[in-house]
Amino acid sequence: MRFIVKHLNILRSIINTINTSFEIKEIVESAGNNLPSLFEFSALGVLWKEESTLYLYQEETCPPSFTQEVARNMVKVFSVLGEEPSDLARVTIQVEKRKLRPSHMAMDPKATLKSYLVLPLALEEEIIGCVSLNSDQPNAFDAQDLQFFSVIGYQMAATLKHFQRFSSVKTMAIYDTLTTLYNRRYLEERLVVEAQKSFYGGSSLSLVMVDIDHFKKVNDTFGHTEGDKVLKEIASLLKTSVRKKDTVARYGGEEFILVLPDAVVEEANMIAERIRRLVEKTLFEVGQAHINITVSLGISNFPGHHPKSKEDLVRMADQALYDAKRGGRNRVCVFSPVQK
Amino acid sequence: MAKEVKGGKWTSDLVLDLYANLLSEVWEVVSALIGEAILELLFNLSIKKIGEKYPFLKPLKVSEEGIFMDEIREDLRNLPPAELHRGFQSLINHLLNLFSALTEGVISREVFPKVFPKVREAERLVSQK
Repeated sequence: MRFIVKHLNILRSIINTINTSFEIKEIVESAGNNLPSLFEFSALGVLWKEESTLYLYQEETCPPSFTQEVARNMVKVFSVLGEEPSDLARVTIQVEKRKLRPSHMAMDPKATLKSYLVLPLALEEEIIGCVSLNSDQPNAFDAQDLQFFSVIGYQMAATLKHFQRFSSVKTMAIYDTLTTLYNRRYLEERLVVEAQKSFYGGSSLSLVMVDIDHFKKVNDTFGHTEGDKVLKEIASLLKTSVRKKDTVARYGGEEFILVLPDAVVEEANMIAERIRRLVEKTLFEVGQAHINITVSLGISNFPGHHPKSKEDLVRMADQALYDAKRGGRNRVCVFSPVQK
Repeated sequence: MAKEVKGGKWTSDLVLDLYANLLSEVWEVVSALIGEAILELLFNLSIKKIGEKYPFLKPLKVSEEGIFMDEIREDLRNLPPAELHRGFQSLINHLLNLFSALTEGVISREVFPKVFPKVREAERLVSQK
């Protein structure tokens, strides 16, 4: 009985995270993070028809041949469901590798797909994709696993359908129209999720606040249209400088925030330094001129700086950014409680 | 033509009874495993596919509450029992194939012990001279 209650609680928590996700990558990630408490598996796959994309969340030691086998199988099962046979070559595969099992149980480099569960993602008689659990172990799943998995699959289908209906509204609601980065509203939501994950799960979380130095001067000298071009270019530099799991958002005006899950201070510092150098080296074309622009960056971290809330984390990054500005700009500062 | 057997029941009726029970049983077992919505979809996919060869299956009504044959029963009882048997057997086989493709043996292990004896029973009924 206790076993079932525990499983139901995990299930409830997975459904809750799926429900509050904003995009498919987030669904796959949150399900992937939680599913190891329910099942032993090597890869979780979500094939979404609308994007012709297969999202795989798999054990870090998964050999590429296993990934291909899972992908082939999902496409095959999808065609068995009466959907037009998809050519695997036309399906984009996005792989997220995580440690799903202890090191001594690393996958064999020659591991093959031994068992799987695939369920259609369907709502109102429309198949929008399929979801699968895959294992390199024979008979890895039983009837109870299927019951739990079907509940998760149903919830995923409902959320994906919701995405399809509201994709344009969602785009407006979560993206900054000028830079196409996430907007402040999305950042707040994302921070809630990431902070909860870190504060309760104990993983590290870093925040980097970025501010363009003397941006007012750019606007005053070259006009707001040229200023907007600079914002867009810096946004693009930020996006290319972070890891896949990081979130980059426009916080307001010429301020940006990077949310870096599982990043200790040193990693955050490395990313921030990389950004600072990249911006410093870039020549920005404004009007007829080419100019150099610099940025200042402030870093805060959980658990390093002992924030008690997400607001604390933002306040600490802001404080560090202030120190970077006061220290002469074009620099990275890490929050320190003694700095005043 | 359908034959009359003991108790005034037609063998077509018997075949229909048997498959109606069987499909209800499959519904009960599998819906507990994968939920009514997915199962409804799989049933409808199978009816569409097998209905191409056995058009009398097309009017079968499936909803999240289950599979219902009452409305079409009158039309079906006029069909030869062997034809009914072949159609329903193909439908069941297609469903089992889908279940296997999706979950390998997980669903089949639960369903097969219930399905197999009843299909045998249907075979026996239609082969009665």
